[in-house]
Amino acid sequence: MTTETQEPQRRNLARPPFYRDVRVIRVVSQLLAVLVVFAIAFWLVNNLISNMNRLGISTSFDFLFGPTNTAIPYHGTFDPRSPVWQMALVGIKNTFLAGFFGVILASVMGLLVGISRLSDNWLVARLATFYVELFRNIPPLVIIIFFGFAVFTFGPFPIFSESWELKVPGSVNNFLIINNDRWGIPGFTATGALVGFWAILIFGVIVAAYVWLRRTKHFERTGQPHHRVLWFTGVVLASLVLAYFLTGQPVDMSWPVISENRRRVDGGFIANWGWMSVTFALGLYTASHLGEIIRGSILAVHQGQSEAGNALALSAFQRYRFVILPQAMRIALPPTINQYLNLVKNTSLGTAVGYAEITALTKTSVGNGRPAFQSFIIVMAVYLTFSLSISLVLNIVNRRLELESR
Amino acid sequence: MTTTAPAPPRETSLDWVKKNLFRNWWSGLISVILLPLSLYLAYRALRFLFVTGQWDAVRVNLTLFMQGTFSRDEQWRLISQIMIFALAFGIGLGTNSAASHDRAQDAGLDVERGTIAGTLARMWSLVAFIGLLLFFATTDDMGNLINPFLFVGGGLVMGAVGYQARRLPRRFRNVGWLLTMTFLVIGFQIVSGFDAGGWVPLGIIFGVSAYSIAPVDRFEASWLRGALRFAAALIVVLAIRAVYAAVDTPGIGWDDWSGLHLTLMVSAIAIVLAFPLGLLLALARRSTLPALRIMATAYIEVIRGVPLITLLFMGQFILGFVVPQDVTLSAITRAIAVMTFFSAAYIAEIVRGGLQALPKGQTEAGQALGLAPPPIMRRIVLPQALTAVIPAMVGQFISLFKDSSLLSIIAVLEFLGVRKIIHAQEAFRGVGIAETLVFVAIGYWAFAFAMSRESQRLERRLRVSR
Repeated sequence: MTTETQEPQRRNLARPPFYRDVRVIRVVSQLLAVLVVFAIAFWLVNNLISNMNRLGISTSFDFLFGPTNTAIPYHGTFDPRSPVWQMALVGIKNTFLAGFFGVILASVMGLLVGISRLSDNWLVARLATFYVELFRNIPPLVIIIFFGFAVFTFGPFPIFSESWELKVPGSVNNFLIINNDRWGIPGFTATGALVGFWAILIFGVIVAAYVWLRRTKHFERTGQPHHRVLWFTGVVLASLVLAYFLTGQPVDMSWPVISENRRRVDGGFIANWGWMSVTFALGLYTASHLGEIIRGSILAVHQGQSEAGNALALSAFQRYRFVILPQAMRIALPPTINQYLNLVKNTSLGTAVGYAEITALTKTSVGNGRPAFQSFIIVMAVYLTFSLSISLVLNIVNRRLELESR
Repeated sequence: MTTTAPAPPRETSLDWVKKNLFRNWWSGLISVILLPLSLYLAYRALRFLFVTGQWDAVRVNLTLFMQGTFSRDEQWRLISQIMIFALAFGIGLGTNSAASHDRAQDAGLDVERGTIAGTLARMWSLVAFIGLLLFFATTDDMGNLINPFLFVGGGLVMGAVGYQARRLPRRFRNVGWLLTMTFLVIGFQIVSGFDAGGWVPLGIIFGVSAYSIAPVDRFEASWLRGALRFAAALIVVLAIRAVYAAVDTPGIGWDDWSGLHLTLMVSAIAIVLAFPLGLLLALARRSTLPALRIMATAYIEVIRGVPLITLLFMGQFILGFVVPQDVTLSAITRAIAVMTFFSAAYIAEIVRGGLQALPKGQTEAGQALGLAPPPIMRRIVLPQALTAVIPAMVGQFISLFKDSSLLSIIAVLEFLGVRKIIHAQEAFRGVGIAETLVFVAIGYWAFAFAMSRESQRLERRLRVSR
């Protein structure tokens, strides 16, 4: 009896009408969503292609292999007849130059500001707060333009032909050339083939990394201090010296000199105003955000940790170095990497000061008649590849940090 | 007999200096170095501001900075618009804060009610910005100042007036939303003309009024009350329509906006339009349906992975091509569209954070009550998740506000871009570059700082109420 009365009910439970069946709804709704999105995308792309055809704009990527036909500012060695993809490579290189040095500047300043905000010293804390509140509430573009035009181009520095030349004491070599356009500092120049030099150096770095691991293991086994940073640096320096002398001194110091016609700086490392504006402005801007992140992470480390350090009679420095900062860094890592990504993306604002990074060069190239759609697709792909690979690495690192903390 | 501890010796200023500047030798050393340095820098900054700065480029062009190249004969529209928007904003803020205050009181919490003086004190950076505008007015060009002053000062005053709506009795609180919405629509129509959009804006007002005059308690509603409210909303709309018919003037579109006005409007419009899109994207990304999840994730990651300026270039060069041939989009429309799609991705991530932070028990409680997924989302999950992310949302608005400066690169003359016209003038070619930039920076700073303070306050309050 009981089975007979329950049977129809169970059948009802098992088979609701198809429009209320979750499995059906799931499939149908997904199909619908995909269909709608694809229909819109198809419509847009269709419009794009038909409009481009109507105006006779090429839809292919052939332009990449045509000549650039423009010079790149501050890249005298770049041949205007070389293909467009080589120009893009120059742009990518410049994007990373600004991003790399910006990240270094931002990290140093950010750490300084973040720790200063928590300082006992009233003046230090106040100045750090002032710095943070000033820089993070002004658009980075305004800061970049300020550096580009109010500090460098129209700023207090002399014009090129009247550059300040600071000599190394007791020598005719300049160690600094300053004008409103370019700054020069001493650099290195190759006097011979560098293949052997680099090979030995890279081998040295690998050995140094191995030594680092060995020292860490030694520390874990015996508990003696590992000094792995010292060891690493020592091995790298040793390999540098070795490489220099073994391959017949292929590298020489190069001092910045203003050319005879006083229009160029020859030798040394030369920084142009666009690069300096982007790097300094973004470094200072990002530092204000990093400062807040670092301050927040230090505050997020439990009070008991600091007290425990105190109980172990650690000094204030030791408490920071060995107890608080390692834990704060773990909290600070994801937002910090996010800020680094933002900084690299923000280098695209170099367009405003004529810095030859990838977006600015592409804009010029589009202005010269290259197809806009394909050009900017390539630019977006470059940034996207970079962002996504960094977030991938970040996710892996995050997972490892989480495991360690257990 | 009680023994009282001896009163601690009063801290003298010398003690304070000792404790805060010379606690130990390195602290003292830093103080000794930094104190003269910061005093000198402050001296140089003040000297630049009051003595050496050539502020003529700013002083002469204040109106240009505020309203840009908008036709001078029609600028009353912009001034009224900014005032009406400020009023709407004030009403919204006032009634909202009053409502939350009442809720706190009902819950037995002792919360102090905000005052106008307190609000102005919190927004001191904006007040200082107005002070700066006043400072730029020398005695002989007061006429130059009236417009910018009405623009910023009048906006602030109207906002304060609107904030008084919080004094409305509790049962009329819903009217606050109606007033906000009505003033927003009127504000737009002051510029675009009262006939623009036909019945659409009136429909918006009608919808909002029908909803906001709706019964507080749904179960008490009878059809008669419903009909009465419906009639009331209809009368409101018809009255507004009658007023429109009386003052009917042809309008100007938003394509002529520029200056600070454009900066404020673009960021506000973009964030408002981006919110629903971002919400949908967040829900799709959290969905169990793989097709939705993959599409939403792809959109969000692509948009977040590229700089805004490349998207703006895309918008400038491409957006005109992806619409049919006969549709033309102005530069500002395209910019707003790009900013909207851009911020939607960021808002989606913020909302997703809020959704993830909500304990799973909330959803399960809804399921235990036998609710279907949509009501669980709408009545249980979203209200809590969205409240929790309000500070992050304000943060996103601030960064969008700052990002709107990028429009100057694609030749849209917003607050920063106006400099291009100014330095193209005969008198200011290469003159006062630093000065105009400092002025622009102070303007951005004043708004962004006030908003960030407000969001910090919100964050503290949310943490307390949790």
